[in-house]
Amino acid sequence: MSERFEPHILGLLCSWCAYSGADTAGVSRAQYPANIRIVRVMCSGRIDPLFVARAFEHGADGVLVAGCHPGDCHYISGNNFAQERFASFARLLDFFGIDQRRFRLDWVSGAEGARFATIVSEMTEELRALGPLNIKVTS
Amino acid sequence: MASLIEQQLRERAQALLDEGSVELFLGYRQGSRSLRVAPFAARSSSETERLVWNAACVPNLAGTLHKYAGQRIGVALKMCDAHSVIQLLRFNQIRRDELYVIGVVCHGMADAERIAATDADTITLWDPATERPTLGPDQLLDKCVSCTQPVPDLYDELLGRVATAPPETKNERLADIQMLEAMDAPTRRAFWQEQLSKCTLCYACQAACPLCFCKQCALSLERSDPRRQTRDMGAIFTYHVMRAYHLTERCTGCNECERVCPEDIPLSLITQKLEQDREQR
Repeated sequence: MSERFEPHILGLLCSWCAYSGADTAGVSRAQYPANIRIVRVMCSGRIDPLFVARAFEHGADGVLVAGCHPGDCHYISGNNFAQERFASFARLLDFFGIDQRRFRLDWVSGAEGARFATIVSEMTEELRALGPLNIKVTS
Repeated sequence: MASLIEQQLRERAQALLDEGSVELFLGYRQGSRSLRVAPFAARSSSETERLVWNAACVPNLAGTLHKYAGQRIGVALKMCDAHSVIQLLRFNQIRRDELYVIGVVCHGMADAERIAATDADTITLWDPATERPTLGPDQLLDKCVSCTQPVPDLYDELLGRVATAPPETKNERLADIQMLEAMDAPTRRAFWQEQLSKCTLCYACQAACPLCFCKQCALSLERSDPRRQTRDMGAIFTYHVMRAYHLTERCTGCNECERVCPEDIPLSLITQKLEQDREQR
């Protein structure tokens, strides 16, 4: 039996919505792949694109950034900043040849455990199809 | 013999220093080799004799300005440098009232690496009648070939003349970008892997960039930590993608980074891409 590729996903989740959402997913026993490793940050607006670049550098195959739905940010506008940063950084990553599916921004509220599970499952499937990133391999 | 522009520049610098309206005048002096110049700050009227203006005055003086913060600076700027200075003003890095700008009309500068072989010097490369370099498109810097703007956007007084409007030429870098963007992600990745694998992380591109002005670089925090001094593709990739990200709103496309790169990595592709993205928004 050939071994199935298991992608490493780094989840950068905002403390107030997405992290609670992940918690809800756990409490409600929603099934989702164990490929994601979660880092809790206080707000999605706190996420420096450097975190994402470092994640890829250190072997992540995909990065998920999740925060509160627009308008629901605990700090009023943090997720708007996150969205703007995401947009320009994603364009750059794409220009450097990192598939856009490897870097995802999504909104998950504290009650949307099922939604969090769906997002992680979807992303894991996509990354499985894409294969490993192998950023350190020189051609 | 000095060209007319050079003479005018020296006279003006001398006058400014003598009347005390500036403490130093920033321009170029002859470098240690022909076709090379170095930034030079004249502090007295006798030192202005060392100022030069010729077809090799490529380095971006905007990057040197922070060294003289707090002093009244006179500076000679071409279009590229003026764009960088405008950005520095926009980010409150320098003060307009401390700056006296002599704009110099620029008809393109020489790519020293392309003409060094022919053993020319800066005097033969200058046409005194039209006050512009006598260079063919193959001897100009890439950015100058497609440039249509000889007059700087920012000046207190202007030297030089605009002889004829420069012809519209196609920007070949844009074609390269379109070609890159037409590729699928893995091919583009392979392209960058190949180019960036030449990178030695010497940080020359960062040192030369006039708009890399942070006192402490977010990317250099780890350079002092021996455990993080890796030189693998991952570190190189992070460095380049983050450098590009930090320049998204700043870069003016002076292409100093590409000029100083010892490994000839096509960094102007990145800066052109940034410019293109800005225009689209």
